[in-house]
Amino acid sequence: MAEMDELVKKIMAQMQQQNDAPTAQSTTTASAPTAPTKELDASDYPLFSKHPDLIKSPSGKGLDEITLDNVMKDNVKADDLRITKETLQYQGEIAKNAGRPAIQKNFARAAELTAIPDEKILAMYGALRPYRSSKQDLEDIAKELETKYNAPICAAWFREAATNYEGRNKLKGDN
Amino acid sequence: MKRQKRFEELEKRPIHLDGFVKEWPEEGFIAMMGPNDPKPSIKIENGVVTELDGKKRADFDLIDSYIAEYGINLDRAEEVIQMDSVKIANMLCDPNVSRQEVIDITTACTPSKLEEIISKLNFAEMIMAAQKMRPRRTPATQGHVTNIRDNPAQIAADAADAALRGFPEEETTTAIARYAPLNAIAITTGAQSARPGVLTQCSVEEAAELSLGMRGFTAYAETISVYGTEPVFTDGDDTPWSKGFLASCYASRGLKMRFTSGSGSEVMMGYAEGKSMLYLECRCILITKASGVQGLQNGGVSCIGIPGAVPSGIRSVLGENLICMMVDLECASANDQAFSHSDMRRTERMIGQFIAGTDYISSGYSSTPNYDNVFAGSNADAHDYDDYYVWERDLAVNGGLHPVQEDDIIKARNYAAKSVQAVFEDLGLPAIKDEEVEAATYADTSKDMPDRDMVADMKGAQDILDRGVTGVDIVKALNNHGFTDVANAYLNLLRQRLAGDFLQTSAIFDENWNVISAINNANDYKGPGTGYRLWEDKKEWDRIKDLPFAIDGKNAKL
Repeated sequence: MAEMDELVKKIMAQMQQQNDAPTAQSTTTASAPTAPTKELDASDYPLFSKHPDLIKSPSGKGLDEITLDNVMKDNVKADDLRITKETLQYQGEIAKNAGRPAIQKNFARAAELTAIPDEKILAMYGALRPYRSSKQDLEDIAKELETKYNAPICAAWFREAATNYEGRNKLKGDN
Repeated sequence: MKRQKRFEELEKRPIHLDGFVKEWPEEGFIAMMGPNDPKPSIKIENGVVTELDGKKRADFDLIDSYIAEYGINLDRAEEVIQMDSVKIANMLCDPNVSRQEVIDITTACTPSKLEEIISKLNFAEMIMAAQKMRPRRTPATQGHVTNIRDNPAQIAADAADAALRGFPEEETTTAIARYAPLNAIAITTGAQSARPGVLTQCSVEEAAELSLGMRGFTAYAETISVYGTEPVFTDGDDTPWSKGFLASCYASRGLKMRFTSGSGSEVMMGYAEGKSMLYLECRCILITKASGVQGLQNGGVSCIGIPGAVPSGIRSVLGENLICMMVDLECASANDQAFSHSDMRRTERMIGQFIAGTDYISSGYSSTPNYDNVFAGSNADAHDYDDYYVWERDLAVNGGLHPVQEDDIIKARNYAAKSVQAVFEDLGLPAIKDEEVEAATYADTSKDMPDRDMVADMKGAQDILDRGVTGVDIVKALNNHGFTDVANAYLNLLRQRLAGDFLQTSAIFDENWNVISAINNANDYKGPGTGYRLWEDKKEWDRIKDLPFAIDGKNAKL
C-alpha cells in the first residue's frame, strides 16, 4: 500500500511539474492552457463550463473547435474525442478534494492508459484475467508499460497482480 | 384431509408461484449475520493490514488482499472497529448527524463491521438512512430498452419514449450477441434524438462492452460484475486486479462506468463458502471502492430471487444498497429483475428505494413491456407506468419518471426511428423500411413490428466493426440526412468525454448538458426542511401533478 501510494504521489508531482512547464511540445497552434497553480476542487467543477480553457483533445484542439462543422470537414476525427491525461489529473484532484482518493488513484492509472491504443489495452486486460498469463508474461507487460508507454503505476499494478496470482494459483496452467 | 376452502383460495393467489426457502446457512441461504460470518476485526502493522475480519494475512484470498490494500481508510480503521455498531447505526438514521460525519466512519469499516452495523437497522430506519446517504441530492432512475427481435427501429423509438418519460440513463442488451453494435447505435441515436444528454449503455461481455464504448457507440458501462468469494470471481473470468484495470481502461477513454454485484450471486454459482449474502456483498462493495470506481449497481440485481426467498431478504437488499451509499459510491439500486408473480410483492420490493430515493431507484425499469425485456423481465415495466406516476403523485415522491402526452410520444418515436433509419442507410447497413418506422412509432411490443432479415443484420453488424466505424461516422450520417439537431446531440455526448465531468460520482446530464453529480449536487439532507423535496423542484412536481387522466375542474361541466 505504502509503496504504491508513494509511487502515485511521485508521478502526480511529476505530472504537475510538466503541466507547469511551458507546453512547447504541444502541437496546437491555439494558446496553451494556463495550468492551474493550485489543485482543483469542487468549486472548479464542472470543468466543461468553469474551465473550458483547460480542456484539450489529444491533438491539442480546444472544446470550441469540436464542432459539427469541423466534423463534417474531417478536421475532427474519432481520436480527437478522447480524454487526455491532464484532464484525468484534474478530475482526479476534484475527486480527491471531494473526499474520494480512491477515484484519484483510478484516474492516475487511467491517465497512463490514454497513451495506449485500444487494441493493446484490450489485450492487456485479457492478460490479467485468471489463468491467461504466466508470471513472466505479466512481468513482460509491466516492462512494456514502463519502457514503451511510460506507465509505471500500471506496471506496478501488473507486478502486484502477478505476485497475488502466484500465491492464489491464478496463473496460466494453474486451472 | 378435507381442504378448508379459504386455504384453497389462498393457494390460487400469485404469491404461491414465488419461491421461498428456509434458512440454510451452510449453502449461503441466509440474508445476513449468518452463523459462519466472521466477526469484525482489523490489525495494522507498519501500515500493512495483518488481520482482516478474523483472518490472518497469510490466509488472505485475492479479495481480502485487495480490500486490505485499497478498500478501507486505514487511518481510522482501528478506531472504528472498536466503536459500538449500534451507535454508528444510530448516526446513520439520525438527521442531526451529517452525511460527511457518517462517511468518515463508514469508509474505515471492514466488511464484517459494515454488515454488523446494517443488522441493527429495521426497514424504516434503512429508508431514513438511505435518504441521507445517497450521494446525489436529486434521485433518478434508469431504464431498460430492449426487444426480443433486436429490432433497431423499435429500440430507437423506445429509447426516445423512455427519454421523454425522464430516464437519464438507458441500458440495452441483445437477444443475439452479434447485434450488439446495432443495438448500441440504435439506443444512443434514439435517446439523443428525443432528449439530448441521456447516457446510454449496451450490456454485453466485458471486453466487448469496453470496445463499444471506445468506438463511441455508448456513453457508459455497468456490466462489470464483481463477486464476494474467490472461486465465483474466478468463474466470472476475472480477478479484482483485472476488474480494477478494466475500470481504469474506461476512465482512460472518458467513459463513465460502475461495477455490478448483488446478493445471491455466490449462492447461484455454488460457492457461498457458508457465508451470508450480506457479508459477501460487503466484500463486493469494498472491491468496488478499492478499484476507485465511482459507483455500483447492487441489490440482488439478476439474482434477486435468492435473497427474496429467505427471511429478511428484501430488508437485507435495501441494506446492501445503503452500504454502497455509506462508502460514498453511486448506487444504482436494482429493482431490475422480474422476481415475483404478486403485484403486491413487486411493489413491496421497490418501496424502500422508492421512498428513500436513490441515485437510480431501478437499474433498470423496463421501458418496454416485459414481453420484450431481454434481461428476463424487470420488476416493473412499461405497462406499470401509470401506476408509478400515481405513486409519485400520491406520495409526492420523485421516482425519476413523469407522465407524458401521447402526441409528444408519437412524434418522438417517429423521429427516433427516422434518425436511426438515416444512420443505417448512411453506414450501408440493411435498410430500415418506412413501414418499420411507421410500425415502431405506434408499437407496444415487437409483435407489432415487421420481420427483418436477421442474417443480413448480423453481417452488417460485423461489417461496421471490421470497417472501424465510430461515433464520428454516426454524427456525419445524421447530418448528411438532415438530422442536424440529433447530430449535434450525438457529438455533444462524445465531446463530454474530453471534459470527463461525468466520470465523477453519480453523474447524469440534464437536457442542456449540465452535469448533475455528487460534486455539484451533493446530498444535503439533514432532516425536515432540507435535502431534495419534490414540491420544491417545481418543474418536476408540475409534471407529476399534471396526470393526463386526472379530471381538470376548470374544464368540468357542472
